[in-house]
Amino acid sequence: MKPELNIEPDTPKPEINVMVDVTLRKAIEQGWQQIAPFWPLENLIAVNPLQGFEHKPIEDAWAEADHVFRNPHLPTEMQAVNRETIKWCQAFLDEGQATVPMPDRHLGFYHAWVGLAPFDRRLNVRAAGMKSWLANLPETPEAAIRKGLEYLRIQSKDRARFLGLLLTTMPGWAGYVKYRTDWAAKGRHAYPITQTDYLAVRIVITCAMWPDAHTLLSLFPREIPADTRRDAQQALDSMAIREAEYRSQLLGQLSRQSVPTQPSSPKAQLVFCIDVRSEPFRRALESTGAYQTLGFAGFFGVPVRVHNQSTGEVYDSCPVLLSPQYDVQDRPRGSDVTLQKDQAGYRWQSQFKRLYQSLKYTFSAPFALVEAMGWVNGLWMAAKTWVPAWAGRLRRRVSGALRPGVLIETCTDNIHEDDQAQVAENALRMMGLTRDFAPLVVLCGHGSTTHNNAYATALDCGACGGRHGGSNARVLANLLNRSDVRARLKANGIAIPKTTRFLAAEHNTTTDAVEVFSAEDDEAIAALKRDLETARDMNTAVRLQHLDAGHAPTVSAKRAWLRSQDWAQVRPEWGLARNAAFVVGPRALTRDLDLGGRCFLHSYEPSQDPDGQFLTTILTAPMVVAQWINCQYLFSTFDNAAYGGGSKITKNITGKIGIVQGNGSDLMTGLPLQSVYAADGQPFHEPQRLLTVVYAPRDRVDAIIKAQPVLQTLFGNGWVTLANVDPDTHTSYVLSRSLRWQPAS
Amino acid sequence: MEGMPMGGLLTSWFHFDSLAVLMISVVGFLGVCVLGFASRYMAGDRLRTKSLLTLGAMLLSVMAMVSADNIWILLASWMFANLFLVRVMIHNSKWQAAKAAGQLAAVTLGFGALCLAVAFLLMSQHTGLVSIQALNASDASGSQMTMALGVLLLGALTQSAIFPFHTWLLSSLNSPTPVSAIMHAGLVNGGGILLARFAPLYLEVSSLLFVIFALGFLTAVLGTLWKLMQHDVKRMLACSTMGQMGFMMVQCGLGLFPAAIAHLIWHGVFKAYLFLASGGTAQEKRFDLEYPPRLRTVVLAVVCGVVGSFVFAVASGKVWLAPDTTSVLVLVAGIAAAQVALTVLRKRPFMMLPVGLGVTSALAAMYGLSVQAVAMWLAPMNLMQPQPLHTLHIVAMAILLLAWLAMVLRRAPATGGRSQVWRRHAYVRALNASQPDPKTVTSYRPHYPRS
Repeated sequence: MKPELNIEPDTPKPEINVMVDVTLRKAIEQGWQQIAPFWPLENLIAVNPLQGFEHKPIEDAWAEADHVFRNPHLPTEMQAVNRETIKWCQAFLDEGQATVPMPDRHLGFYHAWVGLAPFDRRLNVRAAGMKSWLANLPETPEAAIRKGLEYLRIQSKDRARFLGLLLTTMPGWAGYVKYRTDWAAKGRHAYPITQTDYLAVRIVITCAMWPDAHTLLSLFPREIPADTRRDAQQALDSMAIREAEYRSQLLGQLSRQSVPTQPSSPKAQLVFCIDVRSEPFRRALESTGAYQTLGFAGFFGVPVRVHNQSTGEVYDSCPVLLSPQYDVQDRPRGSDVTLQKDQAGYRWQSQFKRLYQSLKYTFSAPFALVEAMGWVNGLWMAAKTWVPAWAGRLRRRVSGALRPGVLIETCTDNIHEDDQAQVAENALRMMGLTRDFAPLVVLCGHGSTTHNNAYATALDCGACGGRHGGSNARVLANLLNRSDVRARLKANGIAIPKTTRFLAAEHNTTTDAVEVFSAEDDEAIAALKRDLETARDMNTAVRLQHLDAGHAPTVSAKRAWLRSQDWAQVRPEWGLARNAAFVVGPRALTRDLDLGGRCFLHSYEPSQDPDGQFLTTILTAPMVVAQWINCQYLFSTFDNAAYGGGSKITKNITGKIGIVQGNGSDLMTGLPLQSVYAADGQPFHEPQRLLTVVYAPRDRVDAIIKAQPVLQTLFGNGWVTLANVDPDTHTSYVLSRSLRWQPAS
Repeated sequence: MEGMPMGGLLTSWFHFDSLAVLMISVVGFLGVCVLGFASRYMAGDRLRTKSLLTLGAMLLSVMAMVSADNIWILLASWMFANLFLVRVMIHNSKWQAAKAAGQLAAVTLGFGALCLAVAFLLMSQHTGLVSIQALNASDASGSQMTMALGVLLLGALTQSAIFPFHTWLLSSLNSPTPVSAIMHAGLVNGGGILLARFAPLYLEVSSLLFVIFALGFLTAVLGTLWKLMQHDVKRMLACSTMGQMGFMMVQCGLGLFPAAIAHLIWHGVFKAYLFLASGGTAQEKRFDLEYPPRLRTVVLAVVCGVVGSFVFAVASGKVWLAPDTTSVLVLVAGIAAAQVALTVLRKRPFMMLPVGLGVTSALAAMYGLSVQAVAMWLAPMNLMQPQPLHTLHIVAMAILLLAWLAMVLRRAPATGGRSQVWRRHAYVRALNASQPDPKTVTSYRPHYPRS
């Protein structure tokens, strides 16, 4: 059958392909600048929803974002355009929900959609000429945008602004597209999409449904209304008061601490992630004995791609600002027989799931499936609801029968010898651990355990790209236990005693259990494990005061565990809520302080970094990540509809990538209401901008700021406040917006 | 207390027969589960207590509805149950889309209630009776009675989201998750229960049975097809419910009311679980089923399917290959058994054949028994009345079989050029048909309430 539509890719229109419209490309680019990327549920990464405005002073950025993202009015015609865009985005960007997917996705978003649009009756195809207009869309998305702009009579001076409005009136889906184009592994996806594709589809739908869409330009005028500016300023002013209070309190505390130069000799050193949830746990552990703890980005300086040998799963485990450098393998410890057993167990698990899915996702058979399996689901539903602890144990026992929980080890053979020592050395130097090694050094990553939780990965390690950090910890521990690596380190001035052992561990932030990945279990390790258990009891008792008050502290560990197993639990843990400051300095600076789980703690020894190289890294990488997190919590609390995820109660997972509300909506980026509010109208997170405190000579900090435009932007535009505690005098200073130091009051 | 007038009223208004007792138990079980879930899931929500109370009131109304003997009590409890449903569906009235979804449900279900009222009026006028037991024992002949049953059927169709009354259900997902769970497990089944309540009358009017069968079958096919196309988990579940409700109606239309009741119970429990568990969808890994399988695998799977259908027939007390409407259920069991076998035999079909036969027989027996348990409980009501096979039934069976085969044997999507025009056309038609009502979509983010 000969298609009557002239949309086949093999009928090129050369005159358009050759023409390169530079100004149009620029306009498209400018439009996209306002959009912050959105990482999918698989690895939710915290992002500042105002990322596209960070180059502006926060007052302007805030007002402008209010203007474009929070304007309560949108004409019904444009709402219809949004609705149809949502429909096609859901269809194209689906990562495995639909059994019968949208056809022709391999052609890319624009081209696949062009083949379907003429049949879409919701696009006004009944209007005169619309069907043939849709059937004769240009060959390239860029040409479609040009055609659309002409059709809508958008003047060239307004092009960038108009295209920007097409994006900002539905920022969530655009954000996911931006993730796909700028952050996800480029060129690897079977169903490609580009920013131009998305805009082309969007503008064509707009042409079809709202020919007067140029009205948008006057509804969102270039000039930000005065009352919007005033509201933004007010929000910032009231926040600034709280920030100043917090700042003077924290700086006062910090400058009163004495930092001994002679280190103690601890029985173990434990390195935790900088995550704010580490701080109270570290404090609890330190109180149980002679432990020294450090803070370091939870990927431990090893950007890896993890291959799970049992399940075949592959993922990047490193900050999203980096790309993985090494391939490592996770496998059960032991011989190949152990591995094969585990693989067989996984195959059995898969086989059961496959059987279930084959009955569910087909024709005719589901009618029988529900009748045959209904009673099983019913019993399981009752168990999970009324005896969740029992259900959790049963689940573990069943999966344990198929795949006995064995110790996982990470194979680092793929890392080149030279790199092994280099990676290890960098990590040690940056965390300031180059001498006085304790007999045990534990590298402790972290992850969370929650059940029936779409936002599960938002609670995992951001430094590991939204994954559990155990593998990275194992990699570094592995390297540091190698004699050849130690020999090279020694040659470079880091002498690790023969008696020192490096261990990997993982802190479960939901339950505060710490799993130590060690085959040995001598007295030293056993003692450590006991103290970790004590710390768990202490920390869960404190944490549960804000989650599940009214129980004896003795049952707090159990109740925290119960939250991790409960399928009806919307607040399994508080994540990074209430985060407020990023402290760069030795642990002695904060050791005697109760920082209330509000601080990212990054270890730093100023004496070991004379040229400021490590401080530069700390300020431009982990601190930037902390700022993304801080802004995500801030804006999700400030306006949970525009910048957050909305209520978990009505959430709906689309395409396995993200959340829409109810029947369908913009892709809800940001944190859900329950992650930042204790109850409706009662925010738990205190919205305030990140305060970074650096314990280092001020001229060193100055030099770094001068050399790093990103820091000038963040400090100068008021996104982050920088403070300094001078190591010699212990006086503290605050960097003003004009980048001048002022004594802290 | 026996002589008290209250007691007399209770027995004249309500009748606790085996169907009522069964449904009260099921509704009670689901209610206890869903309320337990909701009480934790809605922690911190300012409407939590109100929602839980409304849900409780709704459950009590449903219990009254399934045990009512007086038609006016039935109507009243039906209306109250739906009223409470609409209230709890909307949840946050500041959310325009949720309100619109509630209004759509209210209009559809209100029309259904009106149908019930009209039907009951006609019935009581014609017979002078208000007791369902008495009505069922009365003479159903006469055009007024047929008309009454037809109008009553309309009410049942709206409640169970049968085509063309399905849109309210597909647009109902602005509701809190537990509300969706109880709605898909409870109130949509109202249509089936209503038909079962008046089954003796419907069994007298074979033309209406055909209408029920045809609309049910159409809904089953559309719902299943749309379910396979959905991109978000909740709408997928809603389309699936629509399909399952269609199948329940098919069972009613076949004269197999106890089978329909078994279906609505087991489906309800199944679907309630899936809604409550929908937060874990992103972590659910979809497995490649490696379709299309080799021909010999398909042939051997069909052999297992035939054996499975036999085991099912025996376990559920049916005659295998009987020339009546039970053969539709036996066919569905056979298809499911073949599907199971297909997965089991996937890699090494001949070697795995004994395992395949064993697994399919075991599952088919389990399936047959779970259906038979309900049928035996309801046996005293004598509602299992297989009808002679009609061409319509045979066509439907052929469609069920072919649609399943088409799913199994379809080729992987093309990776070269564009797919055929008819395919694209059909896709867009089905995609649009399965969209919720436009007003119920939150098309602009700031229109979602802030908290």
